[in-house]
Amino acid sequence: MSETDYLWNRAGNADPDLARLERLLSPYGHRATLKPLPARDPEPSYPRDRRIYHALQALTVAASVTLVASAWWFGWGVRSAGWRVRAIQGVPSIAGARVTGASTLPRGEALTTDAGSRAEIAVDDIGTVDVDPNSRVRLLRAGAGERRLALDRGRIHARIAALPRAFVVTTAAATAIDLGCAYTLEVNEDGWGQLQVDIGWVAFAQRGHESFIPHGAVCQMGPGFGPGTPHYADSPRALIEALTILDFSSTEDVRRTAALDVVLATARRRDALTLWHLLSRGTVSERARVYDRLAVLVPPPPGVTRENVVRGDSRALDSWWDALGLQSASWWRLWKAPWGG
Amino acid sequence: MGRVLNKVELTAQAAGAIPLAIARFRDGHAAEDGRLVRAARNGDESAFERLYERYAPVVHGLLLVRAPRPDVDDAVQDVFVMAWRRLGSLRDPAAFGGWIATIARNRAVDAQRSRANLVELPPDLETPATASDQLEARAALEAIRALPGAYRDTLVLRLVEGLSGPEIAERTGLTPASVRVNLHRGLKLLREKIEGRPLTPEGRRDTGNRNE
Repeated sequence: MSETDYLWNRAGNADPDLARLERLLSPYGHRATLKPLPARDPEPSYPRDRRIYHALQALTVAASVTLVASAWWFGWGVRSAGWRVRAIQGVPSIAGARVTGASTLPRGEALTTDAGSRAEIAVDDIGTVDVDPNSRVRLLRAGAGERRLALDRGRIHARIAALPRAFVVTTAAATAIDLGCAYTLEVNEDGWGQLQVDIGWVAFAQRGHESFIPHGAVCQMGPGFGPGTPHYADSPRALIEALTILDFSSTEDVRRTAALDVVLATARRRDALTLWHLLSRGTVSERARVYDRLAVLVPPPPGVTRENVVRGDSRALDSWWDALGLQSASWWRLWKAPWGG
Repeated sequence: MGRVLNKVELTAQAAGAIPLAIARFRDGHAAEDGRLVRAARNGDESAFERLYERYAPVVHGLLLVRAPRPDVDDAVQDVFVMAWRRLGSLRDPAAFGGWIATIARNRAVDAQRSRANLVELPPDLETPATASDQLEARAALEAIRALPGAYRDTLVLRLVEGLSGPEIAERTGLTPASVRVNLHRGLKLLREKIEGRPLTPEGRRDTGNRNE
């Protein structure tokens, strides 16, 4: 029977009603990619001999006391179990439980806001993150060292006063590394999003693609593409739209030539930020065209040539970056490795 | 949030960005699961991502017919995060499919409990384009949710998640024969519900085939 075959393995002809059911219902199917995973807790192991076990327990307790005392003495932060959360508007939830006043977001759990709720997260003692409506964030790592949050969807506003790389936000498409700043990060269910920096700098990275975003600049991101090319919020509209094609298309896309024409024609001196990032993207011929235009806007310093830039020489690129007058490359290179991505 | 993101997404779609496709698997499915679980236990996140690709449609389907609609996507993520953190407790790595299905069903129960005192959020708007299609699609989904358990689960995996009969058998542990029966009888009952006819005597007694 043809319908049975089609129902089983799509062989043969489909009954029109069955085909219609599939068409109506398939949009409800699973689409989302896997969000960033938290660190796994180490597996416990118990020795067979209980006397050894108890002895190890005692030693562990003693070592823990010593370590905590040392941490206090040296001023290290003890690993915190979670971050304080305050409901600003409505009733957000943590792991399904309603938050009506002050609460704690434990490591590994999610804070969710609906259309009528907002929340404020205290990132230990280094800053705050405001969570807008219809958002979901998860605490991946907390305490001294790197603090890491995952933004699954929605929008957050981060205000961080700490050493660079002390606070990291991961999304499906890219990771935002705080370099001492205030910024807004938003992402939708499919991983498309945008980061806008209000104060300071943010580094945006994923799978070898890096973007350095200063205050007043914006960077978009897409799943499978990672972070796009940063541009200033006041860059020409035509440049921004053309940049979207360059950032989120394959190198064989026939529209790229015209898109790059627009970017190069409309770029101002201030858009050297954008052109510098384009030097590390696209095809060799595209990078050469970008070099020619950027060289007019910001003459390359001695030792920086068309050949070594197009080849991707990092020292040449860093040297030209320093000439842009934005921030020294040596400053953010110090904090670059290792980035979680 | 919306205008800029939509522009980015639409441009990228026009540029040919292709969403993740549902994979098709060869024989030796359980053995492959075991290999992936062992690799993930050693910290290989790409192995766990592969497990996600294999079982996310099953988890999503099981939750879709049990949990409140607005909670499903978050619940899928919660299930896999829980599985990731508890991989060490899975005694037989090859049994990952059944294990994660159990986690999913338990998570659905939690979602129902936590929603008991909350107002239902508006339905997910990523549904068929026209208003009449939306109504018809929602009615069909509600009809599937109201079916006896085995028919409900098998049909949601076939009609909503797009898995074939052999794939359903492979990832749920049901025999191919059971899946065939569940699909055929379940579809018959679904049509009766959608068309408004009384259930047949067979439908009133029948709860579906679970290999039991």
